[in-house]
Amino acid sequence: MGYSGARGGLEAILAAEDLVRRKRDHAPAPWSSTEQITARFRLAVDRVMGEAGLYDEPTAADAFRQAEGDTLEASHLLRAQRSTLPRLAVSEPVDPGEMTVIRRIVPAFREPDGPQLLGRASDYTGRLLERPDGPPKPSQKDSATEEATDTAEATDTAERTEEQRSPRRFMDLLRKMELLAEGRAADDPEPHDITRKPARPPADRSAVLAAMARAESGALVALWYRSILGPDGDVHEITLGELRHGRLPLRVRHPHTGNPVTVGEFRVTEAEAIEDLDGADEDRTRFDIGYGLCFGHNERKAIAMANLDIANRRFGRSGPLEQLLLLTIDGLDSGGFLEHLKLPHYVTFRSMVERKQAMRAAAEAGEDPPARAAEPAGKDCR
Amino acid sequence: MTYVMSREHRCALLAEAERAELIELADACIADGAQVRVLVGPEVGCVTAQVREPVLEQRFLLGDVLACRAEVELAGHRGWAMRLGDDRAATLAAAVLDAEAQSGRPRAAEIDLLCERVAGRRERRESQEWAELAPTVVAFEELT
Repeated sequence: MGYSGARGGLEAILAAEDLVRRKRDHAPAPWSSTEQITARFRLAVDRVMGEAGLYDEPTAADAFRQAEGDTLEASHLLRAQRSTLPRLAVSEPVDPGEMTVIRRIVPAFREPDGPQLLGRASDYTGRLLERPDGPPKPSQKDSATEEATDTAEATDTAERTEEQRSPRRFMDLLRKMELLAEGRAADDPEPHDITRKPARPPADRSAVLAAMARAESGALVALWYRSILGPDGDVHEITLGELRHGRLPLRVRHPHTGNPVTVGEFRVTEAEAIEDLDGADEDRTRFDIGYGLCFGHNERKAIAMANLDIANRRFGRSGPLEQLLLLTIDGLDSGGFLEHLKLPHYVTFRSMVERKQAMRAAAEAGEDPPARAAEPAGKDCR
Repeated sequence: MTYVMSREHRCALLAEAERAELIELADACIADGAQVRVLVGPEVGCVTAQVREPVLEQRFLLGDVLACRAEVELAGHRGWAMRLGDDRAATLAAAVLDAEAQSGRPRAAEIDLLCERVAGRRERRESQEWAELAPTVVAFEELT
């Protein structure tokens, strides 16, 4: 270990790491298999995938186990793993309208096109802690589901219609009613790749969306909450237009035929936030919409992202928002800087102590203290 | 009229097939001593998911999806496969099956049957999923 004027300690470091491994891997409790983690801690696994920017449930589950349930540490492990992998392809542009929804709600409107599908949700029930003595008995529904999937047994439910599978967006209805501000441009710029080139303000919207998609969920929610509380003077009247969780197809170009080929599906959460335009230079007869999309099932993150997308488009450059979105919401950036504080800072702190002692000695000797010059804005402070 | 499965559709179904069924059939394909050359991989890497968002119709990069790809030559025909995840053996087997089907070799019909089984399984899984989801369709009452 070599950092900030300190070195050595190798034996203690290895012993500490060994203690982590032994206590974790040989804890007096049954081993948690990868399958068990993906099935029982799916939301944590989804969060890790989203914050790492790598979609693969088993790999994320292994990282979650190695990190002993610390989602930020698991994301760090997953992102480190991703950095060792080659990029095989960039997919064909995915159209989120193709999503097979497994949950879809439109809080803004009672009767949208397609169903209001609650799916797997406990939003409408009270939070009561259950403390079972052991695993619950399988229900009849679970047994029936397994049998029907394994065999060709038909179910009683009517076949799913296309409108039930991929319902038309509520946003399309607003557009049809001419209630939506039109911002679509004729050009189609290449998206910014934040994994290859860090984004700095001013940045393309594609960079901000990518940064939010892999942001630390709590950081994104906190920034959203700050944005609506208004310390920066921005005023929002936000309604959640639509929220979806479902599967999207991933397609690449077939190297021999040149045609798109589906290589699998991945789950995402998508949100649309409707903003009431009320600025002096805005079309106050219309709404605008912010967009959020992230890997896995993470509704808080997608909703915060959608709200921050429209906030950034309206106020990003007249205040600090764009800078905050690009520079402060990445969990590895912020967490890494915080964690480095635990490393030995003996030399830097000793120099601070000596400065204080020198100033005190000068004061006791009756010398005038040196003039205080403010540090220039943006100066690095380490 | 006989339905001929497109190569892309077959690749998509082989990408979804179970590991064991792919390997078993690929082993059978090469059991006649046909020469197989591995041209690419199987290599684990990422496919970057590029999304065109629906509001301003701008593209952005959502993140990476773990994937594995392989390419082989079997009896003079090239086969290619890509599957999500990191299962190298399954991906290599899928590439062998793609080459077998492209070459019209003896097991080509069995590959079509495997693809039909995969498609049927998906259909049943989705029907079952809908049977579970449908009861959660809600129509809240509006208080005026």
